[in-house]
Amino acid sequence: MNRRQFVRDVLLWSTGLSLGVPCFDVADVSAAPASPLIGVANGKDYKLLVVKAVEILGGIKEFVKSGDKVVIKPNMGWDRTPELGANTHPLVVRTLAELALDAGAAGIQVFDYTCNEKRRCYASSGIIDELEKIGDKRIRWEHIDPRKFVPVDIVGGKSLKRWEIYQDALTADCYINVPVAKHHGLSRLSLGLKNAMGVIGGNRGKLHHNLGQELADLATVIRPRLTVIDATRMLLRNGPQGGRVEDVKIADTVIAGTDPVAVDAYATTLFGLQPEEIDSTVAAHKLGLGEIDVQRMQIRTVQV
Amino acid sequence: MTERKGRVKNRPSFRAMIFLRRLSQGVFLVLFIVLFVKTDYNGTDHLDSAVNLLFRLDPFVAACVMLGVKSFVLLLLPSLAVLLLSLIFGRGFCGWFCPMGSLLDLTGKIVPQMDRNNRTSYPNLALIILVFALFSSACGFAVAGYFDPFSLLVRGMAQAFYPLLNSLTVGFFSFTYRTFPEVVNHVTEPVYGLLQAFILPSGQKYFHLATLSFFMLGGVFLLEGVQRRFFCRNICPLGAMLGVIGRWALVAGKGGSNDCGSCRICTNRCRMGAIDTERVIAMATCNLCFECVQKCPRQIINFGVSAPWSAPPSQTSLSRRRFVGAALAGVLLPSVKGVEALAKNPDPFLIRPPGALEEKEFLGRCVRCAECIQVCIGNALQPAFLQAGFDGMFSPILTARTGYCEFNCTLCGQVCPTGAIRELSPAEKRRLKIGHAWFDKNTCLPYAKGIPCMVCEEHCPTPEKAIRFKDVELINDAGLAVSVQQPYVVSGLCIGCGICENKCPLPGKAAVYITSAGEDRNAKSFLPSSGSIPYAG
Repeated sequence: MNRRQFVRDVLLWSTGLSLGVPCFDVADVSAAPASPLIGVANGKDYKLLVVKAVEILGGIKEFVKSGDKVVIKPNMGWDRTPELGANTHPLVVRTLAELALDAGAAGIQVFDYTCNEKRRCYASSGIIDELEKIGDKRIRWEHIDPRKFVPVDIVGGKSLKRWEIYQDALTADCYINVPVAKHHGLSRLSLGLKNAMGVIGGNRGKLHHNLGQELADLATVIRPRLTVIDATRMLLRNGPQGGRVEDVKIADTVIAGTDPVAVDAYATTLFGLQPEEIDSTVAAHKLGLGEIDVQRMQIRTVQV
Repeated sequence: MTERKGRVKNRPSFRAMIFLRRLSQGVFLVLFIVLFVKTDYNGTDHLDSAVNLLFRLDPFVAACVMLGVKSFVLLLLPSLAVLLLSLIFGRGFCGWFCPMGSLLDLTGKIVPQMDRNNRTSYPNLALIILVFALFSSACGFAVAGYFDPFSLLVRGMAQAFYPLLNSLTVGFFSFTYRTFPEVVNHVTEPVYGLLQAFILPSGQKYFHLATLSFFMLGGVFLLEGVQRRFFCRNICPLGAMLGVIGRWALVAGKGGSNDCGSCRICTNRCRMGAIDTERVIAMATCNLCFECVQKCPRQIINFGVSAPWSAPPSQTSLSRRRFVGAALAGVLLPSVKGVEALAKNPDPFLIRPPGALEEKEFLGRCVRCAECIQVCIGNALQPAFLQAGFDGMFSPILTARTGYCEFNCTLCGQVCPTGAIRELSPAEKRRLKIGHAWFDKNTCLPYAKGIPCMVCEEHCPTPEKAIRFKDVELINDAGLAVSVQQPYVVSGLCIGCGICENKCPLPGKAAVYITSAGEDRNAKSFLPSSGSIPYAG
């Protein structure tokens, strides 16, 4: 089954026209490129960091075509202000939205299925404020609409066989994953794959019982075209929500890539850890979703 | 003004008064509903308007609360203005302002009435309730919230009608969204969006006692079928209180005269049953709706200004025996509370909102208005059933499995009309302990089965985590040797917000739960720790 068929199934299911649970077969997951390209930008100007990191990958037009429906999925799951490092930095999200607009996106949706109360999270993260400053009607930030969760059969999943996933994340022409790099008690780090928790429904805590594998299983279905990891600030302790500036390291870094496993693996090294220490990275690599070995990546760094 | 043929029309000034009265009712009702809907998080930490204003205007609530806590409560000062106004306008408050009264008037237009003779069913009951409530409040048994019209109204709306409205609306638009083609959704979805933006709450809330709250308020509306303004005439202690003063009001009705003959239109039509068969208007009951003036075919009945000391003697009043009976009941009932088991052993799951005063003072002030419950951003606050005793019914308690106390939120203290919940600064709120989390190691997965979990630790909001974990090697439920993280609570850091209990992924009962142990508002509560000897002495 190809992606187009899958998207059609999801839409049919959500309009009640089909009773069959949409099923995503991992068979068409194109083999990840042998040596994935990772764009890394360092510097104080966070907007420029995003622009430069994406430029390394060939620029935003590689990912967003004119007329595309774009979903930008930051981590804004916690009622915490930007300096506490629990949510994606608002400027990183805003810059991506501006880039997508420049590339001719027909519409941009920004959302997250929050852990704390949704309105508080959206407000405290500072992301909504920044998006509204752009003042473009094509940008729609919205709260999760429970009607839009669609059960999906995860054929490639080893542990997770079926779960409810947010329709817009599945059907977008271009899904951009924008996690923040931070500490997490159970999984050690919360990076790109962990950010998928914000587009799934159901009793999410259940995934914690075999978190690494189940995040990898989700990654067979939730497939960002571009991942931009915000490591401008890195929450080093008391993650994933933190709450003390002492626990936050200012790292002034943005990482971009198309290989969801490779970007996580590279970001892990910024914490002084090995990619093999993160269960979800290992599991996803084993599923053939991407590269784990940093030596085999093309890492291009730019100082801004 | 055109005169209709064959019939003398009413005096224009009174028609204007009726128009003004309806306008006033409409404006205040809309204002009330707007304030009710706005009793919600507004995107900032501070709420600028809420429906609590209504309760601060309520002299019955003010009297009960001040008698209950034996001190002057400044927050309730505005109610004095209503008392003073009733020296001029009597129960005009009931006819012109009270949102409950206005809603009942609207209901009366739909619900047909059974009772034709329009005689108030229990003319003394409201006064008995008033006397009982004042005495029992003074003796530490706060019952104002059972009878106060605003408590009944806001509570019924917050705990039943408003969430019900949301549930039905969402149900309808989910149906259209799932069933109908895109064309229809192009029309329905924008409507849904507008409703969500301006009328509906931000999410579905669920309440204990929703059905009871529904029937209590619904019952008040249905009683309109017995006689008009049944609640106002027979039950409302606030109305009775205003009536006690209102009988000497400056504005007074001039009843009928001998010229009336056998006409008793005013007697039969008065929505308050304030006009007797001799067509004397009882100013303790009349709410100045002025419809008698409009309906009087010969323009006899009238209103004017009268000297306060010239109140007619035929007003409703309590006999000495009834007064003493109501007062005695009010004095005696609280004493029974003293022999309830709860007096010796309070419910350990009684978690009060952050900033709630010490329990006795809290119950004395709380008027069960449900505003904290309405504003609670996490659906954490629920009306108590019997956890706090008979007089604590409908008072707010936190039940973490339905919702947890949001770390940075201080809204409940901001809306409490009587100060039963203190207004806290965000910094104070984040430190205030309302309870304590405990693990049930028999069910907690890392302990019971060696299965990794740690959802509680992930959500624990204190900057230094109050829930931490230790790495343990053990044999799991499949017989395999595994390394697993097991959670534990750091007493000095846990504030009892309940997010751990709320997010625990186990079905049904959570493996971590909150009790009131160690709560800051109770000086006698303590948490044993290895650093102290709590049981000594």
